[in-house]
Amino acid sequence: MTHLSLTNISKVFAGTAAVQDFNLQVDKGEFVSFLGPSGCGKTTTLRMIAGFELPSTGTVTIDDADITNKAPNQRNVGMVFQAYALFPNMTVAQNIGYGLRIRRESKAAINKTVEEMLALIHLEKKGNSYPHQLSGGQQQRVALARALANHPQVLLLDEPLSALDAKIRVSLRAEIRAIQRKLGITAIYVTHDQEEALSISDRIVVMFEGKIEQVGTPFEIYNFPQTAFVASFVGTLNTATAEVIDPVNRLLQLDGSQLQAAEGLEGRQKGDKVTIAIRPERINFLATEKKANIMDCRIENITFLGSVVRIQVLVGNNRFYMDTFNNPFLELPKIGDKDQVTCSREAVLVLKG
Amino acid sequence: MKRSNTLWSWIVMILGILYFFLPLLATFIFSLKAKLGVLSFKAYANVFNDPAFVYNFSYSVLWAVLTIIFGILLFVPTAYIIRLRAPKLRSAVEFVTLLPFVIPAIVFVFGLVRTFSQPPLLIVNSPALLIAGYMVLSMPYMYRAVDTGLRAIDVRTLTEAAQSLGAGWGSILFDIILPNIRVAILSGAFLSFAIVIGEYILAQYLAKPAFAPFMAYQIQQKAYEPAAMAIISFALTWAALGIIALVGRGGGQAQVGGGH
Repeated sequence: MTHLSLTNISKVFAGTAAVQDFNLQVDKGEFVSFLGPSGCGKTTTLRMIAGFELPSTGTVTIDDADITNKAPNQRNVGMVFQAYALFPNMTVAQNIGYGLRIRRESKAAINKTVEEMLALIHLEKKGNSYPHQLSGGQQQRVALARALANHPQVLLLDEPLSALDAKIRVSLRAEIRAIQRKLGITAIYVTHDQEEALSISDRIVVMFEGKIEQVGTPFEIYNFPQTAFVASFVGTLNTATAEVIDPVNRLLQLDGSQLQAAEGLEGRQKGDKVTIAIRPERINFLATEKKANIMDCRIENITFLGSVVRIQVLVGNNRFYMDTFNNPFLELPKIGDKDQVTCSREAVLVLKG
Repeated sequence: MKRSNTLWSWIVMILGILYFFLPLLATFIFSLKAKLGVLSFKAYANVFNDPAFVYNFSYSVLWAVLTIIFGILLFVPTAYIIRLRAPKLRSAVEFVTLLPFVIPAIVFVFGLVRTFSQPPLLIVNSPALLIAGYMVLSMPYMYRAVDTGLRAIDVRTLTEAAQSLGAGWGSILFDIILPNIRVAILSGAFLSFAIVIGEYILAQYLAKPAFAPFMAYQIQQKAYEPAAMAIISFALTWAALGIIALVGRGGGQAQVGGGH
C-alpha cells in the first residue's frame, strides 16, 4: 500500500530545473534511498517532502492526504540532518522531548517517551549531557531519537553519516536500519555513497541532473543498471562501445572480439553502436573457466586490494578491470603478458540510450 | 634587536596607559578634595544624598533598560530573518547600522524634533521618542553583537530542525535562537547600557531627565561633585564591560556539531 507519493514533482531555481518530472510511490515501512552525485536534486526532493521547499509543480501526499503546500511544522515528518542540528542549549533529554513539548504533551508522557528513545539508541546514561559533550556518532543517534520521538509518518535522513568517520558510519548505518525495521517507519535516506545506499535500502532511486535514472532494489541497481550513468555511478563497471552485428542472436563486435549478450538488443539494427557494461568480478581468465564470450587481452596492471586483486587488461582499445578473490595460491600473470579473458552472456549488459 | 623591540613596546604601552589613566586619576584625586585639607569621599556622599542625582540617574537606568528590551525585540528578529531569508540584504543592513557613527547626534536629534513635533506624529514629548532615539544610537552595537552571535550557530539548520519537530516562529525564536545567542545579546545589552547612561544630547534636546544632562548642569554649579559623578559614570561603564568579559568567558556557547 502506497504511503508516500510524489507525483510529477519538479523544482525550478532561478530558471534552472533542480528536479524534473519526479514520480515515486513508497510503501509503508519501506526504506528508500536517493542516490546521486552533488547537485543531482536528491536533497531538494527530500526538502520538498519535509516542506522546506515548495515544488514548482506536482504533489506530495502521505496516506492520500495532500501535504504539498503545508508548512514544515504542520507535517508529521521527522528529519535528521547531516550537521546533527541538536539544540546546543538543551540537554539530550530536552532535545529528544522538544517536539512533544511543542505538542503540549504531559510531562509524564514526555519523560516516558524520552526514556524509551534513550534506550532505543543505547544512550540511557546521557540524558543530562549537552550535545557538545557527545561524540559525533552519539549526537547523530540523539538526532535520530529526537526525530522519532514525535512518531512521524515519514522519517527523512539527509546524508546523516557524512560527517562521521568510516568505522562509525558503518556501525551507525546498521543501527539506523535496525531501528527503522523495529519501528516499521517509512524512511527516505539521501546519500551520495553508493555502498551506503546498497547496504541499507529496500529500494534505491538513482538520480542525475534532477531526473530519476533508475529505481530498483540494490540487487537490480547493481546487477542490471539501465543507463550509462547508473552503470558508471554504482560500483566499478567496465563500459565500452560495441557494434551490433546480429540483433536476433544478440551478437556484438568489440575491437576484434565477438561478444554475445543475453538480452537488451530489442529494436536494435545491424550496425548500431551500443554501450555495453561488464562488472569486473564477472570477467575471468580463460584458463580458469571457459564461458560464452572470449576476448584477447594484454595485462596492463595488477593492484592488490586486500581480499580482491584487481587486474587491468587491454581488450583492443578498451581498458577493462577484472576482479578476482585473493588467495595465497593465486597465480598472477605478469604485466605485459598476452592472455585471454572470458565472461558469460548474462555478464554483457547492453545499456539504454 | 628583539630586546629593543620589547623595550619600545613597553614604552608605548606605558605612555598609552598614562594618557588614558592620568586624567582619570587627576579627576579621582580632585573628587576626594571636597573636605579642606584631607582626602575624603564627601563629594560622593553628597552626590548619593542628592535626590536630584537619584532622580536623574534612575531615569537614565530606566531609559537604558527600556532601550535594551525594545532593542532585543527589534534587532534579534530582524537579524534572524535577514540571515535566514534575505542574506543578500546583509551588507545593506550593515551599512544602515553604521549610520549612527556617521551622522552626528546633534543632527539626528534636530531631525527627530523637526519630524515628530508636528502632526501626524506629534510625539516629541513622549519618552517613546527618546527610547527610539537611543535604540538608533545603540544599533551599531546591539545589531552587530546579535548578528555575530547568529553567525556562530547554524541558524538555518537549527530552524529547520525545530520546524520539523512542529515548532512555530515564536517557539523557534524563544526556545532555540535567543538562548543560543545569549552571550551576544548580553554584550549588546551592556554596551547599550553604557551608551545610554553617558548620553547627553538626546536627553538634553528632548528635555527628559537623565544622568548626563544633570552632570553637565552640576559642572556649572559645583566643583567636586561633578568629578565624583564622572568617576561613578566610569565605574558603571567599566562594571558593564567587566560583566561582558566575565559572561563571555564563562558562558561560552556550545557549537552545533562536534568531533568524535
